[in-house]
Order: sequence, then C-alpha cells, then structure tokens
Amino acid sequence: MTAGSRYRLRHVARMEWTKLRTVRSSWWLAVSSVLAMAGAGAGVGAGYRSHTPVATAAQLIDNSLAGAVLAQLFLGALGVLAVTGEYSSGTVRSTFAAIPHRGLVLAAKAGTVGLVSFTVGELAAVAGFLAGQAAIAGSPVPRASLADPAVLRPVLLTGAYLGLLGLLGTGVGAVVRHTGGAVGALFGVVFVPMFLAAVLGPAGIAVLKFVPLIILVNSVAVVTPVPGTLSAWAGIAVLCLYATVALGLGWRLLVGRDA
Amino acid sequence: MIEVRGLVKRYGATLAVDRLSFDVRPGTVTGFLGPNGSGKSSTMRLILGLDAPDAGSVRIGGRRYRELAWPLREVGAVLEARAFHPGRSARAHLVALAAGNGIGRSRVDEVLDAVGLTGVAGRRVGRFSLGMAQRLGIAAALLGNPGVLLLDEPVNGLDPEGVRWIRGLLRSLGAQGRVVFVSSHLISELALTADHVVVIGKGRLLADTSVAELAARSASLEDAFLRLTAAGSDAGAWTA
Repeated sequence: MTAGSRYRLRHVARMEWTKLRTVRSSWWLAVSSVLAMAGAGAGVGAGYRSHTPVATAAQLIDNSLAGAVLAQLFLGALGVLAVTGEYSSGTVRSTFAAIPHRGLVLAAKAGTVGLVSFTVGELAAVAGFLAGQAAIAGSPVPRASLADPAVLRPVLLTGAYLGLLGLLGTGVGAVVRHTGGAVGALFGVVFVPMFLAAVLGPAGIAVLKFVPLIILVNSVAVVTPVPGTLSAWAGIAVLCLYATVALGLGWRLLVGRDA
Repeated sequence: MIEVRGLVKRYGATLAVDRLSFDVRPGTVTGFLGPNGSGKSSTMRLILGLDAPDAGSVRIGGRRYRELAWPLREVGAVLEARAFHPGRSARAHLVALAAGNGIGRSRVDEVLDAVGLTGVAGRRVGRFSLGMAQRLGIAAALLGNPGVLLLDEPVNGLDPEGVRWIRGLLRSLGAQGRVVFVSSHLISELALTADHVVVIGKGRLLADTSVAELAARSASLEDAFLRLTAAGSDAGAWTA
C-alpha cells in the first residue's frame, strides 16, 4: 500500500496512464500520427527532387509538414477516446467509484493524454521534417537544419499544435461523451468553418484565421506565416484557448451530470 | 453500515427513487429485492455517488461516498456485468483501478486468483463470457479488501456452478463481518444467501425485515414478495 491518507493526483494519473497504454487504439493512433507525417514528408521530398523550378528550403519544409493535417485527427481522436471509450464501455462508473473527485479524473486524463500527444506530436513533426530532408538527398533542393531557429520553430510548433489537438479532443470527449458524436464535433471544429470561406469571400480571412486548420497550415507549420493570418505563436495561443475552453466545459458537465 | 435517508431521484418525468430510507448492517448479507424497474440499480448508483440525488443522503460508515479517502478500500461494487473496456485485459483493468487507490500489484494477482481468472488475466475482456465478466467485476470489488460490498444482480447470466460460487462467496463475506448488500429480482435466489431483506417497489420502501419474518407472513416467501410488490406503492410501507 502506498503511504498517504488519501488519493492524490499522482494516483489518478497512474491510473489514467495505465488505462491509456493498455488499449490498442492508443498505440495505433500514435503510430499512425508519426507514419502520416513521415510518409507525407518523404512523398513531398520525392516530388521536389525533379521539380522545376528548384524548390526553396522553405517550400520543402512547409510541405513536408503537411502530414499534420491528418495527424491532428489521429491525436484528436486519441484524446476523444480516452474519455468516450469509458462511457461506451461503462468503465466510467468503475473510474468514478474509485475516484469520486471527477475534476481530478479529468485533470489526470488531460495530463496523460497531453503528455502523450505532445511527445508523439513532436516525434511526428520531426519525422516529417527529416523524411522530407532525406528524400531530397543528392538533389539540387537546398537542405535545411533543425539547428536553424527559423526551421526549428515550425517543426516544434507543429508538434505542439498536435499535442493541443489531443487536449482539445479530451475536452470535446468530456462534453459529448459519445465516440461518434465527439469525433464528429472535433472534425467539425477543425474543418467545417472552412466552408465559411465560400460564404464570406476574400474578407473571410479575418474570421478564418482563427480556425484550427487555417492556423495549422498558414501560421504554425510554415517557415513564414501567410500574410493576413496569425503569427505562429499567436496561433498556438488561440489553440491553447480552445483546448482550455473545451476542457473547462467538459469539467463543468462531468461534475454536474449523472455518470 | 450504509445509512440511506429520504432518498429521492427523478430521471426526467420518472420518479425512480421515492423517499427511500433504510440501513444496511455489517456481519450479514442483506438482500435488496424488487421487480425489474423498481429502482434498485438507481439506489445503488446513488449510494456510490455516481448519480446525484434530488433529495436525501447516503452515509457509509458515517461519511458521504465522495469523502472516502480510498473509496475502493472501503466500498467494493459490481454494478453491471460488462463495465469494462473490451480491448483491455482483465489484469490491466485491475491494475489501473489498484493504481488509483494506492493498492499494490500483488493484490491484483490475489483477487484474480480468488475469482479463478488467473489463467485468462492477459486476455482481452471483450472475449470474456458473461460468467467471466461477472467474476472480473467481483475481483474489482474485492480489490481493496473493502468492508462494504454492493452487488447489483450478481447471478444474472451465470451458469449453475457460478451461481453456487457467488452464494458461497457472499455468505463468507458476510460472515467475515462485512456489510454485504445484494440486489435481485428473484426472492428464491436471495432466500439462499440473505438473512435480511429490503424490499422496494416503484422506488418506495415496501419492507425492511428478516427473511424469516417475511416468510412467516405468507404460505411461501414468493407469495409474500408478490403480495408486497403487487400492493406496490398503494400500500403504506411495511417495516419491521
């Protein structure tokens, strides 16, 4: 028996970590995230080998991080499933019977999912970059190095963006509770506002620059953010806000609702 | 001891639990009896703090469930036969719960052994038969060696050998001085294990009495139970 008079966050975190690592979907989603980015990086690099005019280093980097568009959905789903998998199976009642303090359960879930999705996100982003670099070896496309801060920034922040999608998924999962509905809601948040582009026309960028997907491909995963969109750090800050709001709402509902 | 006082729970327009009060005492097996839909499972969820009551309270050893320092070391519960992630192994399920309540790994092996699941502990729970799933639920309830056990319809879907095993287990847990509270919609089943019964219908208390006393009221226990529940909420509560 562990010393101490009462369960603490560390006990709950150990419980949540055990649960996360003992279902296969977690591993599949993590591995898929890395493969998606490595595959996209290698494919983009291979495409640029014989491209004319010769691509710039920035073009190659921007495009070799494109796998994040897919990886964000895998890591978002990882976060969703950490919550909804418990509701669909009924495990949530065992969990809350063991730890009646539901806020602590959500905090531990967010902590473990966040740690995993940040780690996997960074691995995936670096894999995408390195795969792109490896694929242009011996071609005229200029190489880039992670030692260059201008290169390191988009790679690391792409990983951070992916980590935040894991947290956003956890929050959405706690709000919606059903796997299908939560995955749908997450995809909706990430993608659907894109349709506003058609409605709003050129002026739409003032709104669209706050959409996660636009933040990813125009602000975060690029060496130079597209004019009119957020800076990379502002984009990450907006994503932090979304994840915080989703987790906060999830917490409110989790504490108040019958399990 | 479990003390239920004035418990009320509504789900939408349905009044599931209606001003329910009773005690469950240690050292004996207490049956929780009522027809399907009478509010037994709702009461169990309210005792465990999973659902919030609209009125009333539950105390376990004098405290609310959410005040328990290490809930699994004080209360063990089996609510549904299959409340496990189908992709997780039996051992992983127990290891996770144990970690949450600071219970050592060796205890996981002990309870797996106690319920006879050691040989399949590494198998994914989704492939378990209903009987194996019930055993896993009981292993989880025993994990913290708690003084209070709640079991909701534990013999449902079990084969005769499993039913006999549960009966023996419940009796021995009661004899060890624990609080054992077992629900069933079958009086014949409870008569074999319980000494005391709490009978409810439509969420209301119909009887809180010993099995012997209940049997003495009618030609058979079954008659007594059916008369009680047929009278249902029209009759006043019948307590002893």
